[in-house]
Amino acid sequence: MGRLKERRVAFPGRKKRPARVLLAAIVVIVFYFFLFPYPLGREIVVRPRWAVALPQPGSALIPSPAAVAGPQDPAGKGPAAAFQIGDRFGYVRGDGTLLYTGRAVYRVSLSSTGFVSFTRLGTDWILQDSAGRRVAGFSVAGYPLLSPDGGRVFSVKTDLSGIIEMDRGGAVLWDRDFPSLMTSISVQGDLVLVGLLNGAMILLDRHGSPLLEHAPAGSRIPVVMGDAAAPDGSRVAAVCGIDPQYLAVLRRSGSGYEPETQESLPTSFRREVRMGFSPDSRYLFLEGTDGPGLFDPAARTLRWVGLSGPLVGAAFASAGRVAAFASRDAGGARLVLEPMSGVPVGREAFPAREVFLGTIEGQLLLGWDGEIARIDVEAM
Amino acid sequence: MSRGRSRWACAAVVALVLACLGNGPAHALDWPVASRIVTGTFGEGRGDHFHDGIDIGGGSQEVRPVLAGELVFRYDEGADYTSLPRGVGSFVVLRHEQHIRTLYAHLQAGSLGPVRARWEPSDRIGIIGETGHASGPHLHFAVFDEEAGSTVNPLEFLPPVPDRQAPVIRRLFARVGERRVALEDGAALQAGRTEILAEVYDLREDVAFRWPLAPAAVSLSLDGAEVSRISFDSLQVQQGRSVLGGSLRSRDQVWDDAGLLVCGSVILSRGESLVRLAARDLAGNEAVRTVSISIHP
Repeated sequence: MGRLKERRVAFPGRKKRPARVLLAAIVVIVFYFFLFPYPLGREIVVRPRWAVALPQPGSALIPSPAAVAGPQDPAGKGPAAAFQIGDRFGYVRGDGTLLYTGRAVYRVSLSSTGFVSFTRLGTDWILQDSAGRRVAGFSVAGYPLLSPDGGRVFSVKTDLSGIIEMDRGGAVLWDRDFPSLMTSISVQGDLVLVGLLNGAMILLDRHGSPLLEHAPAGSRIPVVMGDAAAPDGSRVAAVCGIDPQYLAVLRRSGSGYEPETQESLPTSFRREVRMGFSPDSRYLFLEGTDGPGLFDPAARTLRWVGLSGPLVGAAFASAGRVAAFASRDAGGARLVLEPMSGVPVGREAFPAREVFLGTIEGQLLLGWDGEIARIDVEAM
Repeated sequence: MSRGRSRWACAAVVALVLACLGNGPAHALDWPVASRIVTGTFGEGRGDHFHDGIDIGGGSQEVRPVLAGELVFRYDEGADYTSLPRGVGSFVVLRHEQHIRTLYAHLQAGSLGPVRARWEPSDRIGIIGETGHASGPHLHFAVFDEEAGSTVNPLEFLPPVPDRQAPVIRRLFARVGERRVALEDGAALQAGRTEILAEVYDLREDVAFRWPLAPAAVSLSLDGAEVSRISFDSLQVQQGRSVLGGSLRSRDQVWDDAGLLVCGSVILSRGESLVRLAARDLAGNEAVRTVSISIHP
């Protein structure tokens, strides 16, 4: 005790100085925020709106609580969104009303306005609308493919050598073969972008005539692993090549397209990868090894979003401000929400065998196993 | 030399390339399965396209690479993402030396080997299945020549299977307007250009019933002069249409809706004429049918 007293006496000035420094620092910090205010980013709020259990096939559709009060006529109640969870598929409206649910016998080709559920050997298809009503019948040798809005009907040749576009009466509008196996396809508006095994991407116009034939060079093995056309047609992109793998982006220039970016990727996929543009055509997502990448063509920046397991769904919500990605592996499913600028909003892991991610009325539509839910993502 | 002929020449060169890749000059590739039962041949009409490879049956056999190669692309039905419906089901594409690629399709879902780059002939790619557009378990096997941009008949590069049966020329027809007139000895036709069609096929060696396959080549002659030859040895794409190498004919110019072979057109002049059709298979067996016809003005 005596030694402690001696120390206190020996250093009387040091006891008061830290307090003054601390006080001064606090004052400076407080004044800094007043003098140099920095606006905070808009806060992202995630609001689950409703969840609906899918009825068993054959049973009557069960409307959501929100829909019970409204008319049950499926027509004229706003746009419906298509969903597919494993072999279950259907259409749901923004208020949670299920318009149709079904189970694919073999596969189903979906659009926002209708679908074709087809068998493995089936040569006769029936195009049905989002309420399940028959729209048109087709007798063809290939497998059906619908454009996202359902306005165009294609038959993909079963050996992947070409495609045929037909009108609603089944008449062939055009028929095109490709010099190599088709590995991927993207249909947006008048454009059909096809990726080929030989490394070429071919962009066809409304009449099936080539607007662009481009084979990005630089890889030891040329091949297209995935492709995407922007909704407004301003850009087309492809993940292509092995050793190295590239992201190639081409920009519309006059009546044609010219290479804009060829970005080396740290991936080595040997299968088709998921990729697509945001609804406003500003951003591009692409599957990566440890999570998806978000590419901003205007800024030429590519950033990766950490997400384990193969990517099984991607969607853009809140007017394209937030990207959502879903993955699934043996450990279950994962969902991540990623604003186009900023840190991830949220991550969620949940047990599910099948996952679907889409959009409805600009918001997220999340499906898992036997349920479908709407999640609104808003910037406050 | 036209672009088409140039490609045709490239396709022919691939034969030499493939021969150089193999151990012996007779066959460049090994069979991808142990039991060699060919159930479909190259160039057959398949609705909206030519059959661009061969079909191999034999049940759930293990499938192995025909040469050492590198994995380029694969699709495991039910597991991998796809942006388009794939009638080839689960499949694997390997790349070999000299820019040759091989396709192994309709494999059992889930039977595909691990995702790795290098594949040896002793490795198991998968098991024969019936994924995709398949009416029974079989392997669809195709060979692509990257440089020529063509698909070649795999049977020309695989060790031959026993084949002692000649192709069959069952019936000959002349297309008169919208009608088909059977061509028998003494048949009377009008002078002018006439299309000759035939029911012609090769036969499977291993079954007692009729299982038609496409022949390797067909030649049509009029009064001793060859007017048309169709060889089922390669396919290429010209102006967005898949055509046979050599004759540069598209599927609907080779096969009609009834499955008859469109052998070619002849210009008939007044008098007597001999129409001769010869069909051969890859083993060299040949069938010939000659018909004497009368042509009126």
